[in-house]
Amino acid sequence: MSAPILSLERLGVGLPSHGSGRPVTVLEQLDLTVQPGEMTALVGESGSGKTIAALAAMRLLPPGGTTEGVVRFDGIDLLAQDERRMRALRGRIGMVFQNPLSALNPTRTIGAQVADGHRLHAGGSAAQARVRAIDLLGEVGIPNPARRLDDYPHQFSGGQRQRVMIAAALACDPKLLIADEPTTGLDPLVARQILALLAGLRRSHGLGVLFITHDLSIVADHADRLTVLYAGRAVEWGAARRFFAAPRHPYSQALLGAVPRLGQASLHGIPGLLPDPARRPPGCRFAPRCAYAQAPCEVAYPPPVGDAGEAAACLYPQPAPLLEAGHAAAAFEAGGTAPLLALEHVTVRYGDAAPSLSEVSLELRRGECLGIVGESGSGKSTLGRAILQMLPYQGRILLDGQDLAALPREALRRARRRIQPVFQDPRESLNPRLRVRETLAEPLRLVGMRDKDRLAREVASLLAKVGLDPSLADRFPGQISGGQAQRVAVARALATRPDIIVLDEPTSALDVSTQATLLTLLRDLARSERLATLFISHDIAAVSWLADRIAVLRQGEIVEMADTMRMIAQPNHPYAAALIDTAPRIARR
Amino acid sequence: MRDGVAARLLSRRSLPRGALLGGLLLAVLILALCFALPLVWTADPYALNPVSPLAHPSARFPLGTDEIGRDNLARVLDAGRATLLVAIPGAVITFLAGLIYGLSSGLAPRWADAVLMRLLDAVLALPGLVVLIFFAAILRLSTPSLILLLGLISWPPLARLVRNETRAVRDRDYVQASRQMGAGLFHVATTHLLRVMAPVLAVNFTFLVGDMVLVLSALSFLGLGVQPPQTSWGGLLESALQLVALDPWWLILPPGLLIFASLLSASLIGQGLLARQGGGR
Amino acid sequence: MLRLVRRRLGSAALSLLLLTTIAFVLSHLTPGGPAYSILGPGAKPDAVAAINHEFGLDLPLWRQYLRWLWALAHLHLGSSYLSNQPVGTLLVSYEKNTILLQLVSLTASLAIALGLGMIHGVYHARGAGRIIGAIELGLYALPSFFVGTLLILWLSMGLGWFPAGGLEDLRLDHQTFGAALSHLALPATTITLLTVPVLSRYFAQSVHEELGRDYVRSAAARGASPLRILFGDVLRNALRPLVTILGLSLPTIFAGGIVTETVFSYPGLGWLLWQSAIGQDYPVLIGIVLVIGVLTVLGNLLADLVNGLLDPRVSYA
Repeated sequence: MSAPILSLERLGVGLPSHGSGRPVTVLEQLDLTVQPGEMTALVGESGSGKTIAALAAMRLLPPGGTTEGVVRFDGIDLLAQDERRMRALRGRIGMVFQNPLSALNPTRTIGAQVADGHRLHAGGSAAQARVRAIDLLGEVGIPNPARRLDDYPHQFSGGQRQRVMIAAALACDPKLLIADEPTTGLDPLVARQILALLAGLRRSHGLGVLFITHDLSIVADHADRLTVLYAGRAVEWGAARRFFAAPRHPYSQALLGAVPRLGQASLHGIPGLLPDPARRPPGCRFAPRCAYAQAPCEVAYPPPVGDAGEAAACLYPQPAPLLEAGHAAAAFEAGGTAPLLALEHVTVRYGDAAPSLSEVSLELRRGECLGIVGESGSGKSTLGRAILQMLPYQGRILLDGQDLAALPREALRRARRRIQPVFQDPRESLNPRLRVRETLAEPLRLVGMRDKDRLAREVASLLAKVGLDPSLADRFPGQISGGQAQRVAVARALATRPDIIVLDEPTSALDVSTQATLLTLLRDLARSERLATLFISHDIAAVSWLADRIAVLRQGEIVEMADTMRMIAQPNHPYAAALIDTAPRIARR
Repeated sequence: MRDGVAARLLSRRSLPRGALLGGLLLAVLILALCFALPLVWTADPYALNPVSPLAHPSARFPLGTDEIGRDNLARVLDAGRATLLVAIPGAVITFLAGLIYGLSSGLAPRWADAVLMRLLDAVLALPGLVVLIFFAAILRLSTPSLILLLGLISWPPLARLVRNETRAVRDRDYVQASRQMGAGLFHVATTHLLRVMAPVLAVNFTFLVGDMVLVLSALSFLGLGVQPPQTSWGGLLESALQLVALDPWWLILPPGLLIFASLLSASLIGQGLLARQGGGR
Repeated sequence: MLRLVRRRLGSAALSLLLLTTIAFVLSHLTPGGPAYSILGPGAKPDAVAAINHEFGLDLPLWRQYLRWLWALAHLHLGSSYLSNQPVGTLLVSYEKNTILLQLVSLTASLAIALGLGMIHGVYHARGAGRIIGAIELGLYALPSFFVGTLLILWLSMGLGWFPAGGLEDLRLDHQTFGAALSHLALPATTITLLTVPVLSRYFAQSVHEELGRDYVRSAAARGASPLRILFGDVLRNALRPLVTILGLSLPTIFAGGIVTETVFSYPGLGWLLWQSAIGQDYPVLIGIVLVIGVLTVLGNLLADLVNGLLDPRVSYA
């Protein structure tokens, strides 16, 4: 084995805290290596310290950040370099960030931004840098690079912007590429292409790649080695192949188990919350949420078990669990009941552009869950908002056989109460200045409930319904976690006892472990309340887990609609097949 | 004058922590001077004292006398009362006018909003002080009509701010959810908009009070504000400027510094409030 | 870009229409009218009616409005009650002085504010930034008439460096350069002192915000030096809000610091406004209101267009 291009040795990071002023340790004792031509994945949920590790290696921590340990790049100790030397080294480590739109300067052409790196590190004339930029843009797969050189970032699609970012990093002629969640926020098909691009570059350029992500499933195919972080410490690390074959740390297993896969029977979220960085448990950080924890776990951080190839920091490593196959949402029997909701040739058009939704017809029965799958721009959210009567449409939407558009004002108001939404971002969907109690009481007040005691009782029972502690009622949305906030949003939707719930990407703003818990909750609620649900998502695996039927939407049209089992087993439309192909499946062992 | 609202949505953390406290202390001090001190210092601000015109400050006249021998301290305090009793109600009227116009425009259908905003653009194209001077020249202003005029002319910047905030908030998911539960516009305005905007509104009200003191002082300085025999800080400065060749620093500094202190206090309180809200927006 | 220009021109035209309507209504609010000022109080009703007929004041309001617009289109704004000069001529000669004063002050203000704001924005919560922030806050609270009075008290009266006012001939080309400069110095200083904190705070804030954006981190990750990031990436983006605020403060600029000009008896538009207000010279007043309004609308248009040039996204919005 050759010398690693990057090695982190006992890397620790402290950041100044906003409240107390005392620095908080966000990362401890991280060991990690990246070999030339290999991809190392650093995996963790938000708050695990994975991005901070990368910024610390690049010496780009926010002011006041402190580091300890060693960061060795190509034999040089980066933490010992002065800032001037460090600047010369930075381009040698290329970096690609999440959200390429904001990571690119909106007022400079992409050509200028790609050329920047070449001029900074290789020197040379502007003309040479331009030629190099064209080469690189072509290499990362921008069609017609010479023509697009003088375009601005907003003129590119999300995936193309990320390609531009990669080209800009390559322009510095790096030996190592750090990619921080480069695929998050991209559509699954595009995300796959970006990952394939990175994997290809790693071979063709002999690049070491450090791939930082929250999503274990996305790196399963390409990572050579991997480290799983939890609450600032590595819980399991080593060769990726061995890890995916037999993860041993309960957290690794839980993380894998929480990702919905096609054909999976049950999903298990991780109970509890990530510990606050300032109040992490002294022993194993995961112990308070771990099903296998025993008293010794809480004494000291567990020593690694395993060998040089693969190891986990756990006192009670577990054998690899078997994920049950089967279809979960089998409860619904499509009887001869009349449809609760019917859409007939619904079309939505903004201005003169092509319609965002064209001639969509579908039916939804009581107790049924219909999944709507599509990429961004496919019109899936528009469909949801049309059903909610939040935007004007052509065609008819019938609730219990009544055309909603034809209803008089007051009747429409009552009808709309029967269809309730849960939106993507819980922080956006709760008024930040209303306490949870007030948010939940709002729908009740609107239907005329005034009595204080009764309101309090109802609020408590709503909270119980979504599995939240009644003590949360007095908190503001900013004081609860994202997963809790999303449950509050679900509780609010249930308050008016609706018949239909429109879930618009309800899990995509949440961490993996929280997603699973919420999906399970939604399924249980839909069953117990006999709700019809419309589940809109880009995540076909999650949809297949919850939905009885799936409709695939593309450019405003339904290209295929079928029962879930049939759809994932043998999709007819090539686009539906391509989408299903991107989803993680249960490994056949 | 300097652009009312927009110029202040600034700088959050560059202030030392004591800004809010300092501003409040200054405000209390100014209010105490204008409203409590006259109970102790009972000299008549209008009594002529021909024996000692333009007297330097002394034990008998702590701030000296003016050109016809009136006690300057009593005059400064009296002018302060007049200034604040016009400026603060003026700020309240401006605030309400801006809030109501902004909310109406923000909640109105798109075409009505467009009309109201065009109208606002046309009004904003004129500096408030120019319009004020125009009206003050046409009408001989009594104190109540001065308050009204101040209030009715300075609202456009606030109206625009409220309208923009309203437009931003009404597209938020929580307002959409509320509408889905059957909420009307009035419910949305009171339950969601006002509560979300409350911090911004508090900050802007503080700034408005400062603005009003400044505008009124400028107007009075130009001889068009508070009318004689009643005077205001701006008016005192103007009469002192007439005598500038005689170097009457004791007539210039007290009203000038008090206007400065009022504006500084409003600025500090407003900025302090902004800093406290910090990232909580 | 062309579409943006067309849309902006349309809305500017609408603003102007509203503005002229307001001005027309204002002109009708003015007491008296020509009959009053020609005949004086106690005129006979039939004489008043004759004069009203001569001036078209007995026509229906909408026809009066059209006539008034027609006159306006030919720049007939009437004559000053006080000096009997045509309002147009009067405005042009005073506005020239105001523009001179404002150009000098604005250039100085921008030079100082860009420098201060940049430092303030970069060292936002640290020593230098806090000191500049405190200075800005203090200057911000200073009223122009107080500053002006103090400058006169110390620099003109006390030290005798500058004239306190009284520019004899308002045509500046009749002055020597030195005399013109000495008359400009105090008002320009006052306006600069008051404009700097506004612009500098604005600029500081936008520099600070831009520095926190992701693309700055990308540039740093490429190994770009702080100065290169500041001038190559950040500056252009941070200037956009400043252009907007400059556009917004145009009314103030064209009104010419009414108070400042009055304090120093500087013969600009602001001083003329004050004179006409005190003397109740309505044709001049309305003329000034119109000129300021028109220039403001055009100025805002200019600011929008400059912003369009600075930000490639605008033209496609």
